[in-house]
Amino acid sequence: MLKRHPLIGFILFGLILFLASNRVDELRVFQGATVAVYVIAIASIILLTGYSGQVSLGHGALLAIGGYAAALSRNHWGVPVWLAFCIAVLAAALGGYLLGLAAARLSGPYLAGTTLALAIGLPSIANQFSILGGEQGLSFDIGLPPASLGADFTQYKWFFWIACLAALISVYWLRNVMNSRYGRSWKAVRSNDVAAELAGINVGRNKVLAFTVSAGLAGLAGALLAMTISTVSPGAFPLTLSFSLATGAVLSGVTTLGGVMIGAVTLVAIPEIVDSVVSRFQSSDVVANNLPGLVVSALLILTVLFVPNGPVEQMRARHERRATK
Amino acid sequence: MIQFINMLLIGIGAGSIYALMAIAMVLVWRSTRVINFAQAAMALLSTYIGFELVQKTGNFWIALPLAMLLGALFSALIEIIFIRTLIKHSTSGPVAGIVPIIATLGLLGFIRATIGFIWGNQNVQIPAPLSKIGFTVGGETIALSPMNLLVLLTVIGMVFVLGYIFQKTNLGLSLRASAYAPEIAQLAGIRVGAIRTIGWAIAGAAGAAAGLLQTVNGTGALSPDSLEFSLLLTFGFIAAVIGGLESLPGAVLGALVLGLVLAVVQIYISGTLVFIVAFVLLLVVLLIRPQGFIGVKAGRRA
Amino acid sequence: MIRTNRQKLALTSALLAVAALTASSLPAQAASDPGVTATSIKLGITVPMTGIASPGYNKIPGAMKAYFDYVNDNGGVNGRKITLVIKDDQYIPTTAVAKANELILKDKVFALVGTLGTASTKAISASTQLAKRGIPSLFVNTGFSGFADAKAYPTTFSILPSYQMEAKIMGKFLKEKYADKKLALIYQDDDFGRDALAGFKQAGITFGTYIPYASGSQSLPATGAGWISKLKASGAEVTVLFGVSSASTAALANAYAAQYKTQWVLGSVGGDATTIAATNKAYVPLLYGAKGFSFAPAPTDATDEYIKLFQSIYATAQPTQTFDNNVVAGMSNAFLAVQALKAAGSDLTRAGLIKTIETKGASFANPFLTPLGYSATAHVGATGYWIGTYDPTGALKPDGGKYTVYTTDSGNGPVVESSYKRPAMPAKGLPN
Repeated sequence: MLKRHPLIGFILFGLILFLASNRVDELRVFQGATVAVYVIAIASIILLTGYSGQVSLGHGALLAIGGYAAALSRNHWGVPVWLAFCIAVLAAALGGYLLGLAAARLSGPYLAGTTLALAIGLPSIANQFSILGGEQGLSFDIGLPPASLGADFTQYKWFFWIACLAALISVYWLRNVMNSRYGRSWKAVRSNDVAAELAGINVGRNKVLAFTVSAGLAGLAGALLAMTISTVSPGAFPLTLSFSLATGAVLSGVTTLGGVMIGAVTLVAIPEIVDSVVSRFQSSDVVANNLPGLVVSALLILTVLFVPNGPVEQMRARHERRATK
Repeated sequence: MIQFINMLLIGIGAGSIYALMAIAMVLVWRSTRVINFAQAAMALLSTYIGFELVQKTGNFWIALPLAMLLGALFSALIEIIFIRTLIKHSTSGPVAGIVPIIATLGLLGFIRATIGFIWGNQNVQIPAPLSKIGFTVGGETIALSPMNLLVLLTVIGMVFVLGYIFQKTNLGLSLRASAYAPEIAQLAGIRVGAIRTIGWAIAGAAGAAAGLLQTVNGTGALSPDSLEFSLLLTFGFIAAVIGGLESLPGAVLGALVLGLVLAVVQIYISGTLVFIVAFVLLLVVLLIRPQGFIGVKAGRRA
Repeated sequence: MIRTNRQKLALTSALLAVAALTASSLPAQAASDPGVTATSIKLGITVPMTGIASPGYNKIPGAMKAYFDYVNDNGGVNGRKITLVIKDDQYIPTTAVAKANELILKDKVFALVGTLGTASTKAISASTQLAKRGIPSLFVNTGFSGFADAKAYPTTFSILPSYQMEAKIMGKFLKEKYADKKLALIYQDDDFGRDALAGFKQAGITFGTYIPYASGSQSLPATGAGWISKLKASGAEVTVLFGVSSASTAALANAYAAQYKTQWVLGSVGGDATTIAATNKAYVPLLYGAKGFSFAPAPTDATDEYIKLFQSIYATAQPTQTFDNNVVAGMSNAFLAVQALKAAGSDLTRAGLIKTIETKGASFANPFLTPLGYSATAHVGATGYWIGTYDPTGALKPDGGKYTVYTTDSGNGPVVESSYKRPAMPAKGLPN
C-alpha cells in the first residue's frame, strides 16, 4: 500500500514526528529542526549532483540568498512568514537560474571551482551594502507560536513543526519530480549527455532547470536555517557549510533520495556524540580541541572509501547480487 | 610613475606566490584528473615538516629540499593508500565526480587535526632566509626584495624543470598518457598505477615548496588553521583555472594575471572589492574562454 | 506492504531518526536555577577553539579556567567551586547557537560567560531566547555597543568598550596631538571598521586618505604592500590602523620592507603586541614608537599587581603558553565573573545575579584602568582607554609615565579625562 500511495507514508511520518515532538526534550527538538533543514539542503544537492551530474561546492551561497531574502522581506515589508519563505525560494531560484546559465557550459573541476569561488565571494557582498547588515547580520524573527497552541508551546517546537512540514513537503514534491519525465531526462543527461542530446533532450536547458530547482530548495533551507538561529549573517553560511552539505549528500548516497535522512542526522549527531565522548576523558586542551575533528574526518574518510555510493545503493546492489545468484 | 612600477612589482610578487600553488594543483590534475583538497593538506604538513627541519638544522637551504623530498614521499604514500582504494571502490558517473572531492576534504580535516595534535593550535614561526627589504633603485625603495626574487626564480625554475620533464622525457610522456587515456596507456605497456604515484610525488614536492616559500615570504607564521593557507589554496585554484588547468605555463600566466588585476583593484580602486573581483574574473574567464588562456579546447571532458 | 529494500532502508533511517530524537529523557523539574548546587556553579562559554578566527582567541577559555581553578583552590565562591564548560563554535553563528543550546539544555549551565563574536552573540541571544529564559550572558567578548542596551538584551552584559568609544577617544587624541599633520586611515571594511568611522565622525575628524580592506584580504600576499604603496603616494605622516592584528602585522612588515616611515596609531584590537609577537618575533621592534590604545594594564607591565598575580597563576596552570593580551582578557573576564557571583550572595539565582551586576557592578573590583558602567539601563563594561607608546621590546608604556584614562559613551557624549583611580586589588586577588 505504501508503495502505491507514498503520500500516505509521508503523512504517517509527519504524524509520528508531531507526536514525538511532544515527548522529547528541547535540545532534541532544536536538533530535529536543524536535521529538517539539512534534509532539504542535502536533497537539493542530490538533485543537482546525483541526478543532474553537476558538482556544486558552493551551495552555501544559495542558502545565503534564501536566508537574506527571507529576512529582508520580513524586516522591510513585514510579510507573513510563509510568504517570506516563498520569496526566499524564488530569490534563490533566480540566483540558481543565473548560475545555471553560466554553469551549463562548464563541467567537472571548472564547475566545482566556480561554485567554490561563489561561496567565498558572496559573504563579502554582505559587507558592501549596509542594507544587508554587514558582519553582525540581520535579525529574522518569525514571531511567537499562535496562542491556540497553548502558552507552553516553546519556540523551538514551533521551529521544529515548520521545518519538518517544509521538509516533508519538499522531499515528497522532489520525489515526484525525480520520478517524472524531468527526472528521467536529468538521469539521461547524467549518464551520457551526447546520447541524450541525440535523443532530443535539450541538455543545456535541462541542466539550467536542475540548477534552478535545486537552488530554490536550497533557498528554502537557507530561510529555515535563518529561522532556527533567528538571525542571518555572512558567518552563518561559511565555506564549511557548503562542504558539510556535500559531505552529507555523499554520506546519504548522492544518487538517491532515499537515504537523505541519514546524511542529515549524521551531520547533526556526529559532532555532538564525538564532543560528549571526548569530554568524558579529562584531556589536555590540545586533545580536546583536535580530537573531535580527527574522529569526524576519520569517520568521513572510512565511510566514503567503503560505502561511496551511500548505504541505500549499497544495500540495493547487494540485494540485486543476491537476487541474481 | 613610481607607484605604477611598485604596483606592477606587487602584482607580480603576489602572482608568483599564487603560481606556486597553482603549479602543484595543475600537476595533480594532469596526473590524476582529481580535484584534490589533499594537496592542500599535504602542502600544510610538508610546511610543518619544513618548520621542524629549519629548527633542527638552523638552515633554510637544507630544510627546503629535504621538505620537498619528504613532501614527495608523503604524497606518494597518500596516493598508494588512499587514492587507489578510492578509485577501486567508487563507480563511475556523478559519484566519481564528487566522492573523491569529499574524501580528500576528509583527509584535509584529518591532517589539520593531526597537526593540531602534534604542534598545537597556536602559531609557530619560520624565519625567512633572505631579507624582505626592497632593493633601492635611484634612492627609492621598490616593492621587490631578495625574498620576492627567490619566489619568482623558484616559479620560473619549476616551470622549466617540470616542463622539461613533461614534454621531453619518457616519464613525462607516460605521465601525460596515463592521465589523459589510462586504458590506452595501459595497453601500450605503461604501468599506470606507478606512474600516477610518481605524478603525485612530484606534486607533493611542488606543494611543499609552495607552502614553505609562501610562509616565509608572508609573516612567517604557521598554524593548522592559518588563514593565509586557506586563501592561498583558493586563489591558487582560481589562478590555475584562469590559466587553464591543462598547462603549467598557463597556470603561471593565470597566477600573474590574477596578481596584477588584484593589485590594480587594490591600489587604484578599493581594497574592499578584492574577493568579489577575483570571483568575477574567474567567472568571466570561464564564460568567455573556459579552457583558460593557454588551454586546448577539445578533450576537456572531465 | 513495504516491498523494496530501498523503501525498507528509507523507513528504517526515518525511524532511526525518530528514535534518536526520543532517546533522551524528559527534563527533571528543577527546584532552583540549573547549574547551581550547594557546592558547585557551572558556567559555559562558546568560543572559536579551531578554525580561521581561532588563533589567539582559543587561549581565552584556558586562561579563564586557570583563574577559576585558583579561586576554587582558595575556597571557591561562597563555598561553591566553579566549572567552566568550553564549546568550540569555530566562529560560525549556527554552530554557536547549537553549542549554546547544548550548554543550556544539556549541560544545564547557570550562565553563559565570555561569548565571542558579535554575530554569534546576537544569534544565541535571539534563538535561545536568553531574555525569556532569564539566562545571564556575562561579559560578552565583542565591541558591539548594542549589547549594552538593557532593554534589548536584559540578561546580557558587555565588558569591552565599544569600537565607537575607542574611535571617539582616538579622534580627540589625533585632533589635539596631530592637528596639522597629514592623516591616513586603514580600516577593516565591515561593522568593526564602520563603527570606528562613526566614532571618528562624532569626534569631528577626517582623514586625507582612506584605505579600507575586505575582511580576510589582509592575509593575501599583495595587500599589505598595496597599502604602503598608497600611503607612500599620499605622503601620510600619521597612519591610523583600525583593524585586526593580522592587518597591523601586514602593515608594519610591509612598511619595513619598503623602508617607509610614518607615525603609526594602532587600535586596541590590532595593536596587541603579544599577538604580533606570536606571529613573528622579528616584527615586534617595528612597533617601536607606534601609539597604542588599551583599557587594561599592559601584559608586560610587571609592576601592576593584577598582572603580577595573573602571570603567576597562568605560569603554573599553562606553563607552555605565552602570557599575552588574550590571557589578560580571559583572566579579567573570569575575575569579574567571580566578583559578580560572590556579590550575588549564597542564595544564588539567575535573576539575583543580574540584579547584583546592575546595582553593584559599577563598583566591582577589576583589573581595568577605566571605570565600569553597569546600571539597570546600561550594561556597559569598560568605558574608556589610556594612550601609550610602544617601546623597542613591544611593551606599551603609558604616555606621560602614568595611566591617563579618557572615558566616553557610544553615543554623542563628550570625551573626558577621567579621574578614576583603580581601587587596590583585594587580598590574594580573590574578590570579596
